[in-house]
Amino acid sequence: MISFLVLLGIVVCFSAILALALNFQWGLGGMVNFGLAGFYTLGAYSCALLILNGGANTLAATLGAMAIVAAACAATALVTLRVTEEDYFAIVTLGAGEMLRLVALNEDWLTKGALGLTGIPRPLGDVIPADVYVYFLLGLSIALLLGTLWVLNVLARSPFGRVVRALREDDVVAATLGKNVLWARVRIFAVGGAFIGLAGSMHAFYYQYIDPTQFTNIVIAYAFMAVIAGGRGAHAGAIWGAAAVMVLLEGSRFLKDVIPALDSDRLAAIRIIIIGVGLILLLIYRPQGFMREYRLQVELK
Amino acid sequence: MLQTAFNGLVTGVIMTLPALAVTLLFGVLKFPNFAVGAMMTVAAYMVFALNGQLGWPLAAATGVVAVAFGGLCIAIDQLTFKPLRGRGGITLMVASLGLGFVLENIARFAYGNTARSFAIELARPFRFLDVRMNREQMITLALSALAMTLMWLLLTRTPVGRAMRAVADNPQLALVRGIDSERIIRWTWFITGILLAVGGVLIGMDRALEPPMGSNYVVGVFAAAILGGLGSALGAFAGAMIIGVVSELSTLVMPPNYRIGIPLAAIALILVFRPQGLFGQPYIRK
Repeated sequence: MISFLVLLGIVVCFSAILALALNFQWGLGGMVNFGLAGFYTLGAYSCALLILNGGANTLAATLGAMAIVAAACAATALVTLRVTEEDYFAIVTLGAGEMLRLVALNEDWLTKGALGLTGIPRPLGDVIPADVYVYFLLGLSIALLLGTLWVLNVLARSPFGRVVRALREDDVVAATLGKNVLWARVRIFAVGGAFIGLAGSMHAFYYQYIDPTQFTNIVIAYAFMAVIAGGRGAHAGAIWGAAAVMVLLEGSRFLKDVIPALDSDRLAAIRIIIIGVGLILLLIYRPQGFMREYRLQVELK
Repeated sequence: MLQTAFNGLVTGVIMTLPALAVTLLFGVLKFPNFAVGAMMTVAAYMVFALNGQLGWPLAAATGVVAVAFGGLCIAIDQLTFKPLRGRGGITLMVASLGLGFVLENIARFAYGNTARSFAIELARPFRFLDVRMNREQMITLALSALAMTLMWLLLTRTPVGRAMRAVADNPQLALVRGIDSERIIRWTWFITGILLAVGGVLIGMDRALEPPMGSNYVVGVFAAAILGGLGSALGAFAGAMIIGVVSELSTLVMPPNYRIGIPLAAIALILVFRPQGLFGQPYIRK
């Protein structure tokens, strides 16, 4: 049971980083990202391939994966050059994500296709004894989550953070005030992308084995659910939201013990139906989520 | 080359119905509905239940399911999208994504992941100018042409069609003129449901029935609708044809696995160079 909780904790940490990344792009910046699953795939595969084929160490590979996903996200954001409506952007990100997943599935020479990549080494995996390694990984994940939270908090409260929120509220007003909307959007998406890359790398380290079936579009539903439940724009909310979604998901594995008639396909289907229905119910009854976005407050004396 | 172009034409024709549905919904409701793919899947499985399991002829099964699915779409709208109306496109968009996951997995729950196909007797393909055409492709062409004609008549010649265009063009003005927009929304969903049900059957005939069958078409369908100009029925038709033929021809020069790259590139180009689409009109949202 303890080891189950430790493993659950690690999963929650990298899901929370993914949710924080989406929260920065969409919750704060108003740029919807339906290609999340594809960018997450890109992060995990870049990290794994930099180690396995490029001979990089785990730290360099993680940084490399972050840079690659950030660049891919920045390039995607460039299509907002003329059209700023979010619905068009949603379709573009959906298509870009789909394309990235297809690359992972089809480029056998690089990604081994449906077989996936195996034997991904873990950070300090050869130094720390195997029996206590999960505790180290949990500690590392928590540290990275807190680091992400800190960076994003600093960014959100900086002048750049104010531009980000201004774009979400009204990009025309921001442009009128002399802000470069396109450049700001590219940077918002790149920052989010870097953390998607980090989450993807941690995914690769945790499972040590990645294949295309781990990265279906359901990832998008999980992340949006986490951000909406936590409250759009609220950083701490995104973390609690991700934790709630993951506990719900991992907990529903035990449904199998309660209702033995369910085979694994059906169980997976039920879990996704629950997530989808939950997402719609949240949007209808609690669209503001359960936590609030940080606001600068001045105390009156 | 000719054969490939013809196959592309059929692929394009298959996409015209869902593209039309997307463009109609976008016109009236002002948000892109990402659940269209899963809706086609569910409708196709409903037809499969009547045709493959109860042994009805495919045409009869499609007809019954199309009308029933139109009703079902109205019910879905009342449950999910009606409480969210007026909340802004992004909320509705995320809700439609969630709805898509729910519908696709209801189909998966009921029929599993194995591919199935409709019970239709095999017929020998015939040749015309060295192009091989099979019977399913002919049915697809005929059915889509019929649906397009009916849609055109509906939109231009009937009071409901005029009201739909009025709501799409300017909801406030339509309201002032006494058009009940909720009634028009119900009509739109009903027609959309029929289009999607027939579209789902055509996809099932062309490929096979499996849970992701509809969502595989989502990017292509949206590309078609955007290329033609969201909200323009003629544009949806032209966009679907262009996307279909170009992506099929692209397999001559690049690996077929990346066919989806063509609609994606089309979206990117059209958004940068002509955001209102080929046949659309630029409009101001705020």
